Amino acid sequence: MRDMANEPAAPAPLTDSQVSPPADVVLEVAGLAKSFGATQALSDCSLDLRRGEVHAIMGENGSGKSTLVKILSGVHRPDGGTVTVGGEKVPFLSSPRAAGTAGIATVFQEILAAGQQSVLENIWLGSDGLLRRRIPKDERMARARETLGELIDVPRLHVAANELALSDRQATCIARALVRDPKVLILDEATSALDVATRERLFAVLERLRARGASILFISHRMDEVEEIADRVTVLRSGRSVATLRRGEATPRELVALMTGDEDAPAEMRSAAAKSSAGAPVVRAAGVRLHDEAEPIDVEIRAGELVGIAGLEGHGQDEFLRVLAGARPFAGAVVCAVDGAEREVRSPGDALARGIAYVPRDRRAESIFESRSILENFQVATVEADRRHGLLRRAHAERRFERYVQTLKIVAGHRTNPITSLSGGNQQKVVIARWLAMSPRILLLNDPTRGVDAGTKRDIYRVLTDAAAEGTAVVMLSTELIELIELMDRVLVFREGQLFCELQRSELTRTRLVESYFGRTAA
Amino acid sequence: MSTRVLRIVTQRPSSFAVGLAVLLLVANVIAQPDFIAPNQIAPTLGTMAPFVIVGMASTLAFLSGGGGIDLSIAPLMGLTNIVLVTVFFGTSFGGPLLAVPILLALGALVGALNGVMVARLRYPPVIATLGTFFVLAGLDLRLVPNPVTAAGDNWTNHLAGSIGPVPGAVLTMGAPLLLWIGLRRTPYVQSLLAVGDHDATAFSAGMDVNAVRISAYAIGGLIAAVGGIALTGLVRSADAQVFNNYILVALAAVALGGTNLAGGRGGLFPSMMGATCIFLLENLLTSLHASAYFIEVAYGGVLFIAVLFGARLFNRAAPA
Repeated sequence: MRDMANEPAAPAPLTDSQVSPPADVVLEVAGLAKSFGATQALSDCSLDLRRGEVHAIMGENGSGKSTLVKILSGVHRPDGGTVTVGGEKVPFLSSPRAAGTAGIATVFQEILAAGQQSVLENIWLGSDGLLRRRIPKDERMARARETLGELIDVPRLHVAANELALSDRQATCIARALVRDPKVLILDEATSALDVATRERLFAVLERLRARGASILFISHRMDEVEEIADRVTVLRSGRSVATLRRGEATPRELVALMTGDEDAPAEMRSAAAKSSAGAPVVRAAGVRLHDEAEPIDVEIRAGELVGIAGLEGHGQDEFLRVLAGARPFAGAVVCAVDGAEREVRSPGDALARGIAYVPRDRRAESIFESRSILENFQVATVEADRRHGLLRRAHAERRFERYVQTLKIVAGHRTNPITSLSGGNQQKVVIARWLAMSPRILLLNDPTRGVDAGTKRDIYRVLTDAAAEGTAVVMLSTELIELIELMDRVLVFREGQLFCELQRSELTRTRLVESYFGRTAA
Repeated sequence: MSTRVLRIVTQRPSSFAVGLAVLLLVANVIAQPDFIAPNQIAPTLGTMAPFVIVGMASTLAFLSGGGGIDLSIAPLMGLTNIVLVTVFFGTSFGGPLLAVPILLALGALVGALNGVMVARLRYPPVIATLGTFFVLAGLDLRLVPNPVTAAGDNWTNHLAGSIGPVPGAVLTMGAPLLLWIGLRRTPYVQSLLAVGDHDATAFSAGMDVNAVRISAYAIGGLIAAVGGIALTGLVRSADAQVFNNYILVALAAVALGGTNLAGGRGGLFPSMMGATCIFLLENLLTSLHASAYFIEVAYGGVLFIAVLFGARLFNRAAPA
């Protein structure tokens, strides 16, 4: 294993397309930009894909990898920039069908299979016209068997796709891309659901494709995979392509440095005085397993602690937080310590009864009531407190709410206006106020600062540290490194559905964190 | 029971309906031995045909997924019946060679409009087709406020009776089934099932999801027009009320047949079997002089049992 200096300086970005002439470029994007509402997913992404190369894309959460893939697959339209396919400049690929016609086939991160249809149908999905078959029946069978056979031992073509194990289902999706003989094959984290044997076979298939002159855009979080097959690597950071490097040009540590960048040094988010001294344990995960092959997780969380939950998107951290909030784990249990007695948490209702409050990630779908007022949205979890002689008193609710308007600096008009009249950040503050009002012993937050502005973030951080100082255990999933580093007493890093490592406050650096997301060994 | 037999049974969505239809047929024959007398078969099938055809017509919207449903099939059948009797009969367009293609085109057009509202304009299917239901029902009443008797002898009468030795209903029920069998030989049916199963997958694989959905509603409308022609032979009049008997039966037939109402699994044959069960059940209870109220209750009971049974089998077929 290559070993490096402790804190490497980011290497000077080397765009080698400027160095050597772009020979045989099959796909080129320049200055690609795309935003979703207020979120700028891609701001300036440029890269070129050459004939017969495996080109890896790396970047941390929210760097724009999936958005890039979806633009190249015809799912999203870019707001700006150009796409050049086979020397022909096109403003964008208008649909997945157009991308297919241009010779681009994509395997997406989510497993996209029509579960009730047979494996054979799933492989040829979309290859025919509406009424005319383009490929004769015998050839369909033979080629499907051959292609899927390259990935798994005994391809069963006539069973329904949802009868297959996860890995075989993903292999079916990969076969769907392969039977099209693509000029450009895009694999977006397509290996994460594959078992080891299938992954090895896929790599052999990719080698053959490359030898035939096809090009592969390979998105993976696994440094070892990228090192194994990528000819070049483009690093994305905050929606920009920051560097393209040839194989061996950068060490893993240097790649990590490129992914994290050297953003302006953050101001201290917590004053040293507020730094908590952890109290008695309030909740623990006892042998919690998130899926059948995962190692059990044993974690104890103490009163007054700020605990971060981290990892690349979709590696189990979201599930773990939900388990703490009362969702059933695959195995094991969540146990609360209440007044010296231990109580298991079996449902969201249990969790609430034991003083566990949960702020979900998807504000619109899971936490706000869009048609109700600001006050009602605040009041809903603690409505009993506003009851006098059996009647609800709005004045009392308003008085309770005012306290949080002060501490969270909520900017709201009349309290009976609909919650949707507020900005996203202020909606989130109302949701946090809702749960703080029940004086939780444990406050769980699922990426609460996603898509909110810097000022709002700061207000949320302050309220959370205050809550911790008063003895609430705060557990927060975050996709922003800076929050994890500055706010947390310790961070639990998840990888592939299990707890990968735990970093204490003294160990929390950008490099350390991103290495734990991508690296091959524990920090 | 051997698991192999069970497997074959569970893979066919219509197994329950086929079994039930056979039982009900036997029960009907026991209750009323001349049920299968040779001279009874053609008229019985003629009475059954509209049930079966509206059931088949309603199926495609369900199969197309995305909450697909077409509530306007029954009043569209009514409209076809009314247009045929009041507009075409007695004119040079009254013959089958001209009238049939025009009526089928009318049905397909109304269905396609539903499809456009659902697929392109993103109306919830229930709302879009309920709107069409009211518009068509109103139009039907406007055209014939009171039933208009059809001219004594016309070609549709044969469809409810016999054409030579062949019951006319074999033709009216067989036509949609033949169309479906033909479509099965093209990629269309598989595309329809894939879109209904998981539209995001179908879209990302390059399918034209909107075209598939719109055509599903259009074919449903076309089959409804076939139903209108069969109905005309049966009732021998233009009637703006008669379609009411078929609204809910059409939906029940699809569910009873075993088509997945969320899309992706099923077909016209299962709905045909579902409709046959409903018809046979009604016939049996009527011949036993059961009250009309009880017949309605029996429909509901059979539907509950069928859905429960279907769900059980389906869960068994799909591993957790």
